[in-house]
Amino acid sequence: MGAIHGANAKAHPGLKLAGLVEPRTEPARALSVALDCPIVELGAMLADPRIEGLIVASSTDSHLDIVLAVLRAGKAVFCEKPLDLDLNRLRAHEAELASPAAPPQVAFNRRFDPHFRALKARIESGAIGELETLQLISHDPAPPPPAFIPTSGGLFKDFTIHDFDVARWLMAEEPTEVFAWAACLVDPAIGAAGDVDTARLILRFASGRLCAISNSRRSAYGYDQRVEAHGSRGVALVENPRVSTVESWSTAGALAAPLFDGFAARYARSYAAELDHFVRVLDGSAAPTTGYEASERALALAEAAALSLRTGAPVRLADV
Amino acid sequence: MARAVPVPLALFGAGRIGAIHGRNVAAHPRLRLAHVVDPMSNAAVALAAACGARLSSAEEALADPAVAGVIIASPTDRHLDQLLAAAAAGKTIFCEKPIDLDLTRARGASGTLAGARLMFGFNRRFDPNFQTLAGRLASGSVGRLETLNITSHDPGPPPLDYVRISGGLFRDMTIHDFDTARWLLGEEPVEVFAAASCLVDSAIGTAGDVDTAKILLRTASGKLCLISNSRRSGHGYDQRIEAFGSAGMARAGNVSESTVVTWSEAGLVADRFQNFFLDRYAEAYRLEMDHFAEVLAGATPRVGLADALAALALAEAAEASARAGRPVRL
Repeated sequence: MGAIHGANAKAHPGLKLAGLVEPRTEPARALSVALDCPIVELGAMLADPRIEGLIVASSTDSHLDIVLAVLRAGKAVFCEKPLDLDLNRLRAHEAELASPAAPPQVAFNRRFDPHFRALKARIESGAIGELETLQLISHDPAPPPPAFIPTSGGLFKDFTIHDFDVARWLMAEEPTEVFAWAACLVDPAIGAAGDVDTARLILRFASGRLCAISNSRRSAYGYDQRVEAHGSRGVALVENPRVSTVESWSTAGALAAPLFDGFAARYARSYAAELDHFVRVLDGSAAPTTGYEASERALALAEAAALSLRTGAPVRLADV
Repeated sequence: MARAVPVPLALFGAGRIGAIHGRNVAAHPRLRLAHVVDPMSNAAVALAAACGARLSSAEEALADPAVAGVIIASPTDRHLDQLLAAAAAGKTIFCEKPIDLDLTRARGASGTLAGARLMFGFNRRFDPNFQTLAGRLASGSVGRLETLNITSHDPGPPPLDYVRISGGLFRDMTIHDFDTARWLLGEEPVEVFAAASCLVDSAIGTAGDVDTAKILLRTASGKLCLISNSRRSGHGYDQRIEAFGSAGMARAGNVSESTVVTWSEAGLVADRFQNFFLDRYAEAYRLEMDHFAEVLAGATPRVGLADALAALALAEAAEASARAGRPVRL
């Protein structure tokens, strides 16, 4: 993620990348060359009055400490999701993180995807009447390395967290209950690490509206990212973009170009757009779209889903 | 080869679905509609006339030694009694879903029905699109099947009089999806969770039913199936299946009224989906009646008593889950 945000920052006319905070490993050196900025210490950046903001794309377990340090240094911060893996720890810092003076921008990038934004606009235009149910399909092309699993926080905090945020955003209502079933069907190493790789979840909202989420850590046909919004007068869909619009037809049938092979290509425009939004946060012309509240709600949903999976019963958000 | 004399059949029920089956029988080269049994319907008169059949009582139809087969397309609460009567008369039977509104009652009759030649009208198993999907799964083209998403939304809610006798969303509507799930998963669900609401028409809620649901099924091996149901979709009859496997995904989409699309400044406009089951599943109804002709000629029914009972068991479990707010084991 750091490489993506770094490249976008380097390319943005309103930003100058001053330093890369990383241990001096070979990949970090290569990235610093590619980004044309030196490897630096976090402390030096925080003490440097010329530095206006930091982008935090480190491993998830380090997010919160760095974000708090940046805020205490009086600088703006853009942080990858999730803000933290521990709901209680996150809540303990609510006063600082939710401060209207300098709230962090947390990178729920799908809110900046042009396709998802167009869907949201269609819903709000009344094109499908009253929104009633959502179906989110979110399947990764391939599972992460098994070594990543123990630090990831598990499927729900690492992966479904995006879908939880999308569900809240599109419904414009808080889920009140979550039910999750999951299994390890893709890679036994994920199961051995105590996680799952395949899931179906149902969210219920106070109004009775429902959202179903499909997750898999592996989809052999590419990155499958779709939304169906069913309303009283129609349905609105986000389909998968393909790497090209070419189709070929033969006696065997039709062959379309494949889906994108991962988030870097599929969501390239969203990453650029969310960083552009951060530039507007820096110059004071916009407020962060997703900060403490979005992070806290999505993490609460992830913990509720994990609890539902353990207990085999639906979990009320009020109990998390 | 000499052409066989068409097999005479009796049809119980001349409502919407009875009329489909009656006309498909009349149009079938190896079948003939001899009796229409429906005590209280003007539609029965018209259907009998259109199909060259006569209006009969149930007793007359079952006592006719020429009648080899009976089609039961009456209201659901009549299915089981008519099944038992037709079985006692030694007829080969085609029965609409569901077998009954009550699982205990249906199971109680299963001993008697076990000896009957009996098939059930789970028409989606005969839909050419879904059959092709099943064939792709069986051929291994998506690897090992892992999860299934079934979307089944009706264009508009049925009349309230129908809702009251339907047995509820799960027995009346989702029962098709339960059968489809069992068929495609190739494995029995062991647990079901259902979240349901009344969002479409509050009168459905007042009648004690729901109109919107998301249902999860889980099999012993961990395969998961998501079913999405609504009694009303503003965009037409929404009937889709997606099957996710270790090596890919196969899906059957909606069928449109035409393939025409128009482009303008506003974007692309495609034609509507075929509206409701009479159109969308017309070929499936024809093919399931063709299968019944094969059953009458000695073939083994592809959808039998065990399937009807299993789908009803899933419906009752889903209803119990929605009421209790907890998953229910089968």
